[in-house]
Amino acid sequence: MWNSLRNIVNCGISLSQPYNNIINQQIRTTYILKRKHQPRLHKKNMKPKSLSHKHYLYELIKDTTVEKSQPLKLILSTNVEGLGSKGDLVEVKPSYGYNNLILLQKAVYATEENIEKYINLEKKLEDKPSSPYVPIRMACMQRMTLSVVMNKELPWTLKPWHIRVSFRKCGWEVPEKAIILPDQPISGPDLNAESKEFFITVQFSPKERQEVRCRLHHWSTHPSDRLPYVKEFWKIPAEPLIPITQKEHNSEIKL
Amino acid sequence: MISSSKKTLGLFTKPSIFEKGIGALLPEAYKNFYKEWKELEPQAVHYVPEEGKWKRNEITGQVTPIQNRPIPLIWPKEHNEQLWGGEGVVQGFQSRGKYKRRIPHFWVPVLRRSVVYSEILDKYISVIVTDRTINLINANYGFDHYLLKTPACDLKSLLALRLKRRILKELLNECPAYVKHSEKYECVLAEYKKYLTKYTAEDIEWYGYTFPEACKKMQVILDKQNEAIPLKHIYRSALIEKMKATSESDDTNNLEVSEKIPWLHKINPFGKKQETS
Repeated sequence: MWNSLRNIVNCGISLSQPYNNIINQQIRTTYILKRKHQPRLHKKNMKPKSLSHKHYLYELIKDTTVEKSQPLKLILSTNVEGLGSKGDLVEVKPSYGYNNLILLQKAVYATEENIEKYINLEKKLEDKPSSPYVPIRMACMQRMTLSVVMNKELPWTLKPWHIRVSFRKCGWEVPEKAIILPDQPISGPDLNAESKEFFITVQFSPKERQEVRCRLHHWSTHPSDRLPYVKEFWKIPAEPLIPITQKEHNSEIKL
Repeated sequence: MISSSKKTLGLFTKPSIFEKGIGALLPEAYKNFYKEWKELEPQAVHYVPEEGKWKRNEITGQVTPIQNRPIPLIWPKEHNEQLWGGEGVVQGFQSRGKYKRRIPHFWVPVLRRSVVYSEILDKYISVIVTDRTINLINANYGFDHYLLKTPACDLKSLLALRLKRRILKELLNECPAYVKHSEKYECVLAEYKKYLTKYTAEDIEWYGYTFPEACKKMQVILDKQNEAIPLKHIYRSALIEKMKATSESDDTNNLEVSEKIPWLHKINPFGKKQETS
């Protein structure tokens, strides 16, 4: 019995070994090795003694590239969306830094000379975004069509919190104070306004504002009263809900 | 007398490559490069060298000298067209368990294609590199700095050495890749000029050649020096000069020449036979 048990245990070990090997596989490496048997010492100023086969038996000590790489310190020479603006000192992953910043000449290495050169530049720039992520978010908001779903039976007037909830439904966290509604109040339920467009403004900072295209929909809690579902409504062109705001919007675009 | 010289006393020593044939004619600049490339100890990449001169055994207290024997490396011929950053192929054995026979194994560096940018040449070069090369480029703040700072024994591959020669030549000619006196030109020149102090123009001329290449280069120079001019060219030019000289002097000495009748004209072969007695 004990023999069979030992066999099972041995089997278990042998089964687990390849599994471990797969995990510990060296992907890309500078191998650092060590001799298992040290070669014999030779006399001073004499030819070293010849190596025999056992001196070629190596043990792996370390794999340098499997280790976590140190971050690369760079100074940006242009504005990089999502990272920083010109003159910023950033720390990035070495592979990203080399392939996407250094080779494309968007950044330089943070040497002492470069830090001195770019330190004055950082102060001069005033029109840089309040955060490196703001331009990305603004571009994303410019593309989106926000669906604002309101009640079909009970009366309502559109408030910032309605917009906040609509944003949250599609995965955006926008604080209420950042949402600016159109001047003309929108109230309902009004089926004439169904699937019509209006624009709200999201304020990131005093200087940075972005208009967001919204579309009004009505919703009933009772399934039979609901309006038929329109597939991919954002691809269908819609009329403006407030013609005046639309004109203003157009004039803003022209400016 | 040191022991190694005692052993070689009275023995025939084989002449080295720089002591025979065309190798003996190679300039000192090439010999210096060759020493830097082949004889200098490269940086330890695949092993951790022990520091210090002596070490003491913790238990017995016995003192032994520290002798670092580097792990022998193999470089396939392909590596001459790539940048391995001092890495090489290690051939040896692995032990995969106490009761298992040792297994032959090759530790080969992982190669991938990437791009390097040379600021002096203002060029992007697509090459096969290892991760270590890219790390070294980052650590030296740029590809040019990496090449110019690193000695030939660590660069190892012919591609790296040729690029280094080209970069040094470009520096010596004050970066013709950029428009002169532009802002970028001044920046690049100021950044890299410090590396020129190490080399003379002759050093740069002879940097990064293999021994056969250097011999071929020397042969071309020698052939140019000892170029044989055909004798007919020499004689022709001499004759032309002589004729020019005679034509100038012809006008003045015309009368004298006419008075001097050659002795051959005096002889009349059909005249009466002269008596010899």
